[in-house]
Amino acid sequence: MNRLARHGWCVATALVVPWLVLASPGPLKLAGVPPAWPVLWLLPWALVDGPLSGALAGAGLGLLLDGLHLGPITEIPALALLGWWWGRLGRQGPPIERSFNLGLLALLGTALLGASLILQGLLLGWSAAEAWLPAPALHTWLAQTLLTALLAPLLCSLQLLLWRQQASGGRG
Amino acid sequence: MQAGRRLRLPALRVVLQAWPWGLLLLALVGVRLSKGAGFSDVYALVSRPFWPGSAQGEWIRSAQSLDDQSRLRQLEGDNRRLRGLLELQGRGGPEVAAPVISRQAGGWWQQLLIGGGELQGIRPGLSVLAPGGLLGRVASVTPTTATVALLTDPGSRVGVWVGRTQRHGLLTGIGTSRPVLRFLEKDPGVRPGDVVVTSPASTLLPPNLTVGVIQSVDDRAVPATEAVVQLSAPVEAVDWVQVRLP
Repeated sequence: MNRLARHGWCVATALVVPWLVLASPGPLKLAGVPPAWPVLWLLPWALVDGPLSGALAGAGLGLLLDGLHLGPITEIPALALLGWWWGRLGRQGPPIERSFNLGLLALLGTALLGASLILQGLLLGWSAAEAWLPAPALHTWLAQTLLTALLAPLLCSLQLLLWRQQASGGRG
Repeated sequence: MQAGRRLRLPALRVVLQAWPWGLLLLALVGVRLSKGAGFSDVYALVSRPFWPGSAQGEWIRSAQSLDDQSRLRQLEGDNRRLRGLLELQGRGGPEVAAPVISRQAGGWWQQLLIGGGELQGIRPGLSVLAPGGLLGRVASVTPTTATVALLTDPGSRVGVWVGRTQRHGLLTGIGTSRPVLRFLEKDPGVRPGDVVVTSPASTLLPPNLTVGVIQSVDDRAVPATEAVVQLSAPVEAVDWVQVRLP
C-alpha cells in the first residue's frame, strides 16, 4: 500500500494536472468545456495505490486546483472522496482494467465532482442561484462528464499500466 | 458681274459633299446640349486605369484616422478636466499590456491568467480591456501574473449604463458567454442593439468603457426587465489585454 507515493517522480506527475488546467488545450474540449483533468489522473493512481493514498492525492490535487480558481467553491471534498472510493475499489476484488469500467468510473466521478460544485454554488449563494442550476451549469456538467468518460479509457489505461509496473517494482 | 454672283451662292453639290462636317457639327451640338454626357462617359472609360487606386484611399483613411485620434485625445482631455471639476472618477491612468497565458472561458470558472502582475503595477480590482471593450477585473495577483475574473463569471457584477435611454443596470455573469443585464426599473425602454457602457457613476470601474450590445430583452422578467448582452470584446480571440492602472 502507498507504494507509488514513495516514488518522488510518480507524485510529481500530479503537476501535469494544474498545467493542463491552465493550458486548457482547445482540441480536447467539448462545446468549450474541458475534461476533468484531476479525475483522469486520480482514478488510476487511487486504483493502484489504495484508499489512503487516493484520498490524500485527491485532497492535494484539490488544494492545488483551488489555488488556481476564483471564488470560495472547492474541489477538495469531492476529489478526496473519489480517491478514497476508487482506492477501496482497487483493493477489493479483481483489478479493474477494462476500458468500459474505467470510463464508467470516470463518468461517475466527474458527475459527482460537478454535482458537488453545483451544490456548493447553491449553498454558498455565490452570485445568482439561477446561474448554477439551469442551462449553463447543466451544460458544463454534462459536457465535462461525457468528455472525461470518453477520454478515460485511453488515458487511464496507460497510466494504470505504468503505475502497476512501478508499484510491483518491476522496472521502477 | 453674273459670274461673281454665281460664285457667292454655294452650290448644292458642294453642301452635299461637306456632309461629314455637318455630322461633326451635329455631334458637337449634341455634346453641348447633353452637357457632355457621352463625352464624360467615354473619358471615364478611357481613363479608368489611371483612377485613384487603393494607395490614395489608404492615404485618405490614414489622414482621417489621424484626425479622429487627435480629436479623441482632445475630447478625452476635456472630459478628464470636466470630470475632475465635478469630482467624478476619471478614466484611469496609463495602461499596461499583458499577454493572455491561460484562458478558461468555459467550464465552471470564467477567468484569464495574464502575464503581468505586481511587478508591473497591477493590483486587484483594476479593469482589464481588450480590443472591443471591457473584459473583466483583476481578481488576484502574483508578482508576475494576474487572474482576471471575466464579466461572464458567475461571481461578476458590474454597474453599467445604457446611453440611449440613460438607464442604469447591473451586469451579472451567469457562466455563459452572454451575461444578463438587470435593470432597476420595470420599463427601461431599451431594445436590442443598444450599446452598454460602464456606468458614469461607477466607483469600481472607469466610466464609459464599452461593454457590449443588448441582444435580447425580456420585459416579463421579475422583478424588473432583464436583457442579454453580447460582449464586444472577443474573449476567445484575445491574445493581449490592457490593464488600466489607477
